[in-house]
Amino acid sequence: MSKTRILTLAFFLGPATALVVFFFVFPLILTIYISFTDMRNWNVERYANDIVGLKNYEALVHLSRYDPKFESAVITTIVFVTVTLFINVVGGLTLAILTYFLEERVSLSFRLLWLLPRMTPVAVYSLLWYYFFHSSNIGTLNRIFMSLGIIEEPIAWGSYNLPLGTWAILIFVNGLVGVSFGMIIFYSAIRSIPWEYIAAARVDGAGNLTLIRSIILPQLRWHIMFVTVWQMLSLLTTYAHIFLLYEWGTIDRIWGQTWSLLVFTTAFGDIKRQGLAAAAATVLVVIGIVLGLIALRLLGFQRMMTIPRGEI
Amino acid sequence: MAQNRQLLLIAVGIVAIIIVIGAIILATRGGEQPAPEEAPETPPAETPREEATPTPREEAPAKPELKPLTGNVEEDIVNIAKYLEAFGVKEVTYKVHGAGDPNSIMRVYGVVEAAARLNKILEENGMDLRINVEIVDFSARADEPAERFQQSFPLRQEADIIAVSFRWIATFAEEGYLLDITEYVNAYKNTELADYFESLWASVTYKGRIYALPQDTEARPLYIIRAVLECAGYDPDDVARRIDAGEITWREIFQIAEDVKEKGCAEWGVLHRKGTAHPDLVQFYYAFGGSFTGPDPEKLYLDVDALYKWLAVEYALARAGLTPENMMEWDWGKQIHPTVVNGNTAFWIGGVWHWTEWQTKKYFTDPQTGELRSLTPEEVKEKFAYSLFPAGEPGLKPVTLSQPFVWMISANAGKFNPNYEELKEAYHRIAFLLIVKANDPDLVAIHSIVSAHIPIRQKAAELMEDPEFLNKLATGNLDMFVSKEVANAFVEIAKKTAHPINIEFLKNTAYMLEYTNITPLHPAYQPLADIFKEAVDFVLKGQMTPEEATEYVLQKIRADPELAAMIEVRGEIPQGWSFP
Repeated sequence: MSKTRILTLAFFLGPATALVVFFFVFPLILTIYISFTDMRNWNVERYANDIVGLKNYEALVHLSRYDPKFESAVITTIVFVTVTLFINVVGGLTLAILTYFLEERVSLSFRLLWLLPRMTPVAVYSLLWYYFFHSSNIGTLNRIFMSLGIIEEPIAWGSYNLPLGTWAILIFVNGLVGVSFGMIIFYSAIRSIPWEYIAAARVDGAGNLTLIRSIILPQLRWHIMFVTVWQMLSLLTTYAHIFLLYEWGTIDRIWGQTWSLLVFTTAFGDIKRQGLAAAAATVLVVIGIVLGLIALRLLGFQRMMTIPRGEI
Repeated sequence: MAQNRQLLLIAVGIVAIIIVIGAIILATRGGEQPAPEEAPETPPAETPREEATPTPREEAPAKPELKPLTGNVEEDIVNIAKYLEAFGVKEVTYKVHGAGDPNSIMRVYGVVEAAARLNKILEENGMDLRINVEIVDFSARADEPAERFQQSFPLRQEADIIAVSFRWIATFAEEGYLLDITEYVNAYKNTELADYFESLWASVTYKGRIYALPQDTEARPLYIIRAVLECAGYDPDDVARRIDAGEITWREIFQIAEDVKEKGCAEWGVLHRKGTAHPDLVQFYYAFGGSFTGPDPEKLYLDVDALYKWLAVEYALARAGLTPENMMEWDWGKQIHPTVVNGNTAFWIGGVWHWTEWQTKKYFTDPQTGELRSLTPEEVKEKFAYSLFPAGEPGLKPVTLSQPFVWMISANAGKFNPNYEELKEAYHRIAFLLIVKANDPDLVAIHSIVSAHIPIRQKAAELMEDPEFLNKLATGNLDMFVSKEVANAFVEIAKKTAHPINIEFLKNTAYMLEYTNITPLHPAYQPLADIFKEAVDFVLKGQMTPEEATEYVLQKIRADPELAAMIEVRGEIPQGWSFP
């Protein structure tokens, strides 16, 4: 490879590579290192060199064997990630297509509305749903249903028909946040489809459904794959909203705890055990890599990377 | 195929990196991997302390030495000022962070006032040194100063002085985050600190060393709603008296609550706090004879018998509809306090500070106007009787629980001041004198009155009985006691709360301290309390029976090797015991 080519490659790939190294590789190495230390209470000075071998990993194995919530946490995680991911991707796609066909002014307002959950601070957003799903008559949902005569007594939604009630709240609250991410990506992607394709299809008499099926969806393959993998990994590790709803008692204390939240509450109780948390994070990274690779395979990443044989 | 192989290679590569890093780290240890339970106990880190008399710099041999503390604030602050001024220091600054209900703002302004008083001494003695105090924040959430302190200490950005619950001492002392003030306290034990209530020193002592000064304390009475009990044919004062005498236990409380509900006098029988089991609900554990201490001072003990009985009471209360199943989810401002002050429950497991909180916050719906308003002191007295937390069973004693707030000093206190490494002993001493002055009898009395907390020293308790003092406080004539800045901060609160009825209440509840329990200063206590909270929630909701919830607590302890090593479980679920 010539020197000029290396320089060109370095120029174009350098910034992105530096970002990945700085924001992913370096923190990953640091996390792996911390997972072998007894780091706690943010006391870096004292514990940075306090190597404890596999102690934190052993604690995790112990936790998975003996914690009475472990099984429910795994089941909740699988249900939560699968259903929320489906809603995020399909919902985002549906919204993007809908807004694409709307007049720009209306479309913009509509999209902004859907971005509200993402723009609202986590605590405020969670508080909103805390009051909405509150199990007594101060809960908005209970008040609405009672005023309509649908129910006579307030319902504890988080405990309703366990685990379904809790799962529904978990998925609903997180799904609303996640769906806007897909919507933004898909909408931008649809807008970038050359207008000639759309015009040609229209001239050929394509209706909206045909347009979606034959033009839009094929052009969004990369984006669908990206959103799916990205959201799946996000959902696997998310706990902010779940933690607040869990702490405030909106969701059940057994079926409302995902794996990441279980680890968070174990590692960040009164004693902040960063070593244990880092070990759990490392395990999650490995799980994330494996799941990401499986998703890429299922979504046909290999096929999409194949160089086309030429236009026909 | 090629792409597949690439993906596989990437995955293998990343996993390999993880394994290599792990192997390198393990190799550096020579293959030794102590089992978690074999890890040696770490003694509390020694707080880095300067010698009492630091060696002056070589280029300034004539500069004075820092004289030992004498126990006299005036003499000591002047000595420190002379020492610092010799090094050219004319101004020192400290940061303070406190938390609590709005009536407890002396948890930061006490230090501001202390600085003003020390500055006055310095001025009168012709010294140039001035002490500034900056308020970092006064947080509504009690644990926020401690959490921020914990996070910012390694970055040396923490507040110099914090007012937080004593329960943080164990964790912070273990990490070396706190200034060990044992020697300072010894110097002042017979002077400024002589009239502190003896029992409170236990709450600031960890492994034989003193890490804080008490700031206030409290008791947790069982409030009895007079109108509700009278409606059901009970004499509330008699009930209170018999609870204190141990004649009425939780079995009788259950029966009274059931009676009240059956007669339609109130919707609920017993309400308690939401969200956490610590500290209010842990009183059940003590009331059933539980203890967290035992022969090994390094261990935290858990009595299964008391735990089970506590959970059995909660389970029975919720099944009978006397306590809401979703109690742990109730909203403080919209549900809990309004239900209590509007008389819709027979009993409320509360704290002394609620007495004035009901006088400053609008929880009560006026029956005439339908508007929300706060209660007057007379109304609070008329509505509530109070007693100790009832004994669990005949033969046991009623209890209460205190969770003293304390002043802690950072091990790096004064770090923002000039030449810190050389002069830190002087800076540490100023921080100590600041908290000593923040606990001046009049300041403690003012704080106790406006926030309905029990004073930590005898002189403050005496001052609270002085009609002249009280009158000045009630009329907002605060300039008599404190600087303008501090007076302005709480004049309105003082006008509302400095009332003879409130003083009488504090006097009447002071006896509760004889029955009080202080939860252990042990790193395992809070994780355990978090597990209790879950167990309480499960039994209230009926998701678990008391047996299952007790077993859940034990399983959670066993699932965490670190916790299991620290906690000694005693006894078993009692056979043939039932409630009510």
